[in-house]
Amino acid sequence: MAEAQVFREFTERVQRYMDLQKTLPRERTTRRPEEIADRRLALAQAIRQLRAGAKQGDIFTAAISEKFLGVIRNTLQGSAVRRTIRQGEPVANLHLTVNSAYPDHLPLTTIPPTLLVRLPRLPERMAYRIVGHDFVLEDTEARLIVDFIPGALP
Amino acid sequence: MRSLRRLTFALVVVLCGRVLSLPAQDVALPLNSGSVRFAAIGDMGTGEPAQYEVAQRMLQFHQVFPFTFVIMLGDNIYGGKSPDQLQKKFEIPYKPLLDAGVQFYGALGNHDDPNERFYKFMNMNGERYYSFKKGNVHFFALDSTYLDPKQLAWLEKELAAAGAGWKICYFHHPLYSSGAFHGSSTELRTVLEPLFVKYGVQVVFAGHEHVYERIKPQKGIYYFTEGASGELRAGNLKKTDLTAAGYDKDRSFLTLEVSGDDLYFQAVSRAGVTVDSGVIHRSMTVQASAP
Repeated sequence: MAEAQVFREFTERVQRYMDLQKTLPRERTTRRPEEIADRRLALAQAIRQLRAGAKQGDIFTAAISEKFLGVIRNTLQGSAVRRTIRQGEPVANLHLTVNSAYPDHLPLTTIPPTLLVRLPRLPERMAYRIVGHDFVLEDTEARLIVDFIPGALP
Repeated sequence: MRSLRRLTFALVVVLCGRVLSLPAQDVALPLNSGSVRFAAIGDMGTGEPAQYEVAQRMLQFHQVFPFTFVIMLGDNIYGGKSPDQLQKKFEIPYKPLLDAGVQFYGALGNHDDPNERFYKFMNMNGERYYSFKKGNVHFFALDSTYLDPKQLAWLEKELAAAGAGWKICYFHHPLYSSGAFHGSSTELRTVLEPLFVKYGVQVVFAGHEHVYERIKPQKGIYYFTEGASGELRAGNLKKTDLTAAGYDKDRSFLTLEVSGDDLYFQAVSRAGVTVDSGVIHRSMTVQASAP
C-alpha cells in the first residue's frame, strides 16, 4: 500500500481518538497548579474508560507501523539526527503500556524536526515521542500513552 | 559605544525569615527612561538551595534595576510535577518577584511538563509556543523539543509580521554552544537559523547547557546560553572559537535592557559578581567586557 494512503489511515485513526473525547472537560489556564493536575488526572481517567479495551497496535497497525519504521530508519541514517536525539537526554527503555501515564519525571527526547516533517501531522494536543527504543504517540494534555511502536529505534 | 552608567549598591534584604547581607554590586545597565528591562533564567527549576539563592540575588538586583519581566529558557520544573513541587520549584523562590509585579514568560524545556502552558504565572496562555511584545521588542518563545512543521510555519508568519523592532527568540536547546555535555544543536539550527537570518532576528537565548555562554555573532545574530540559574555543570564550558565570553564556576542569571537600538546585557553570578556585560547595537556591533 502506498505511504500516502497508509498515513491517511493513521490520521483517520488519530481523529477517531480525538472525536471519542471531544465532549470531555479540557485543561484551561489557571493560577492553581492543583487545578491543572486535577483536570489532567480526570481527563486521563475518562479517556481510559472510553478506551478500556485499547491495546498496542490499535492506531499503529502493522501496516502503519511498517511505513513509520521505514521513515524513521531512513531519517536516522543522518548523523545530525542521531545527535539530536542524543542531545535530548534520551531516557532508558521503559515498559510501556497503552493508556498508562507518560512518566512525567523523565525528560522528553528531542524529536528531530527532519523526522517530524516526514510524518503525518498531528492535532495540537498530540505528539510523537521517543522513549528508549520505542516510538510513542502521546496525548500531551492527558499525558497518556495512546499507542506505540516497540523497538522502532536502534 | 555609549558609556555605561554604573551604580553601586549594598543591600540587606529579609527573605524567608532570614537576614542576608549582600555584597556591593555594580549595575552595568544604563536604566534609560522608557527602556525595556528584563531578566533571563534557564534550567532553574530544581527546588534546591542554589535556585533560591539565585532568586534572592535576582531580587536584590531588582531593587536597583527594576526589570518588569523574566524570560524562562526551559527546564522550569525538574523532576516531580505535582502541585507542591510547582510551588517549591517556582512559586516560592520567585514569590518576592511575583509579588513585586514581575511577570514570567516560560518556554518549555525537555524536563518540563507540556501542561505548564496552562499555568497562568508562566504566561503561555495554553500554547507551547507564542509571541509577545514589550515596547519596541518582539519576543518569540519556542518549543525546541518538538519543532514540528506547524510551529515552524507559525514562527515564519509571526516573524514576517513583526515589523521593524527588535526580534528576540528564546527556547531551550542552544543552536551554538561550547558546552561539553550537549554542544550545539546543529539539526535544530538547520531549520531555525534560516528563518532568523531571513527575518532579521537579532538575539537568541537558550538554556540546556548548565553554564553561561555568549557566542560570537553567527550570521549577524547574537546567541546567549543561560542554563545555570538552578542547575550547574561546573567546568563544563570548553571554550571554543564560538565563545565570546562564558562562566561555568557557579550559577548565574542574565539581566537585559533594550533602549532604542541598543541592547545592554549583564550576566550575574549567584554571588553577585558580574561575569559578563556589554551592549549590542542593532547595527550589529558589540562592545563587551568580561573579567
